Amino acid sequence: MASITIQSITKTFGTVPVLNDIDLSIADGEFVVLVGPSGCGKSTLLRMIAGLEDITAGEIRIDDRRINEVAPKDRDIAMVFQSYALYPHMTVADNMSYSLKLRKTAREKITDAIGAAAGKLGLDPLLERRPKALSGGQRQRVAMGRAIVRHPKAFLFDEPLSNLDARLREQMRAEIKRLHKSIGATSVYVTHDQIEAMTLADRIVAMHGGIIQQVGNPLDLYDRPANLFVAGFIGSPAMNFVEGHCRAGAIETDDGSKIAVPDGVHLKDGQAVTVGVRPEHVRIVAGPEAGSYAARVDLVEPTGFGTIVHVRLLGQDLKIYTLERGAAEVGQPLHIALDGARLHIFDRETTNRIG
Amino acid sequence: MQKIATRLEPWLYSAPVLILIVAIMLVPLALGVSYAFRDIRLLNPFSGAFVGFKHFRELAGDGAFRGALVNTLWWTFSSVILQFLFGLILALLLNRPFKGRALAQALCFLPWAVPSFLSGLDWAWMFNPVVGPIPHWLYALGILSEPSNILSDPETAMWGPIVANVWWGIPFFAITMLAALQAIPKDLYEAAEIDGAGPIERFRSITVPFLAPTMAISILLRTVWIANFADLIIVMTNGGPADRTQIVASYIFTQAFRRLDFGYASAIALVLLVLLLAYSMLIVVLRQTMLTRH
Ligand SMILES: Nc1ncnc2c1ncn2[C@@H]1O[C@H](COP(=O)(O)OP(=O)(O)O)[C@@H](O)[C@H]1O
Ligand SMILES: [Mg+2]
Repeated sequence: MASITIQSITKTFGTVPVLNDIDLSIADGEFVVLVGPSGCGKSTLLRMIAGLEDITAGEIRIDDRRINEVAPKDRDIAMVFQSYALYPHMTVADNMSYSLKLRKTAREKITDAIGAAAGKLGLDPLLERRPKALSGGQRQRVAMGRAIVRHPKAFLFDEPLSNLDARLREQMRAEIKRLHKSIGATSVYVTHDQIEAMTLADRIVAMHGGIIQQVGNPLDLYDRPANLFVAGFIGSPAMNFVEGHCRAGAIETDDGSKIAVPDGVHLKDGQAVTVGVRPEHVRIVAGPEAGSYAARVDLVEPTGFGTIVHVRLLGQDLKIYTLERGAAEVGQPLHIALDGARLHIFDRETTNRIG
Repeated sequence: MQKIATRLEPWLYSAPVLILIVAIMLVPLALGVSYAFRDIRLLNPFSGAFVGFKHFRELAGDGAFRGALVNTLWWTFSSVILQFLFGLILALLLNRPFKGRALAQALCFLPWAVPSFLSGLDWAWMFNPVVGPIPHWLYALGILSEPSNILSDPETAMWGPIVANVWWGIPFFAITMLAALQAIPKDLYEAAEIDGAGPIERFRSITVPFLAPTMAISILLRTVWIANFADLIIVMTNGGPADRTQIVASYIFTQAFRRLDFGYASAIALVLLVLLLAYSMLIVVLRQTMLTRH
């Protein structure tokens, strides 16, 4: 097991910059998730750790050893690919033992390692099959098995669950988490799915446009997103955003409504801000009260557990997440209130969080 | 009546196709086979009679035919193996990205577009010490003791058409192998690299198994095709000197169009057909057993 240090990493493909001055330290045994929209450079960063892409500038260290020039096979890492990349002409057992054989591991040791990994992943009955004869979920397990037999210093995952259906993805997610708890190896996991990031990570690295937007534990990112991008990316249904200006100690939205400035937030008069509020922090209230708004229900989306109510308010579509069933019907007028303590205020110029 | 009509119905639907297959494929084949058992000589207006196995008895004692059989094996297998090896190497080179790859690919596939007779003439000139450079190069390299024409030396003549054939046939293998190479998922190589496989091990455990079916089928097709392919030999050596480059296919050509004995030529063709069929069956059976073993 090992720590990974990424220092001022930059990557360009030809003249196209993909990663820009990335700094990140991953502690021994930590599970770090790189999350961001497609094309933000997460796979590229992971592949640089694996040694599959050259490093344009900067340095990567595994345990204090600089690995920029070290061949992938000598970095002592294992990688799980989105496509699983299983060798189609080998059985499951051969797929898992391939790396050990190449490393001239003793035969008994290989048998033991395969037995242990197969037991952990429930692969025992499949060992003599070829990948073609396996379901997607089983292939995924084999890919994991191939990674764990080697006891590498670190695991790298590139969207390993993206090719599975929703049910299986949920199941494998829990399994990966359990596996990490039992093995405890340093892991770097790439995904575009914020739920996967939230549920798996010790620490999330949110990326966008080749830049790290925020690093922190999942609830930190949820409760105190550092900028508009993170606020909008983390959380489902997504955060509501309302634009306005600071006028006379309150935030005046573009349609003339007023939102009280939360305690401890200092705004300059005339400052352009975006107010973010999560759908679960918008309440439906019985009647008009101080700071409530009148709105009309636009759309109702029941999700089973809760209900997403869309209303027209403050000049835009605002989502409310409520656990009460039948709280609203389309066309119905109602009053809503924002949870003042849970507003997120962002500077519209810099997109950074103010409070 | 009704019953017969319903019975016939499916046959009526497939009738056009069946008739086409019979007309296009079977009739000419049957005609050709029938010639082998008849006395058909273009210069003899009274020929045409049924002669039974006379041609085949004659063939059994025909030394030139036996020589042609041996030459055919030599010609076919050395051509196929060299075409395949160079084609594979070319495909591997063209499969990696480099500047101007598109142009290089187009150039490498050019020989395929050259008519076989033209390429035969071209190579015949190149081997001719009066106009071609090759004898002088070979002399300079010490391979030849004097800059002579290898096509006129019975010991070396076969190499002339083989070289021309290899040059002409490399693109076929390069194209098929390149297509198969490009269908191999790249991340398999990456996974193997992380697993600790070097370039040779990656080639052995990923490239070869992926290419194997394509290799097998293209070598099979190519073997049958080259065994039948006499254009280059006819243009470059015409079977000579001293029948040393005479293959069965060119011998058929000689019998039919020089001696104008179509009956005898058809009998030889029939023997070649049976041999090639036997070869193909052997390969199919081999493939089947290999598939079931897995
Ligand atoms: N080999 C490559 N050559 C050129 N551009 C590439 C290459 N690989 C990735 N890119 C570009 O780099 C950017 C980041 O890619 P990637 O790291 O795969 O994104 P992500 O995994 O976050 O979806 C993308 O815009 C992609 O087009
Ligand atoms: Mg990716």
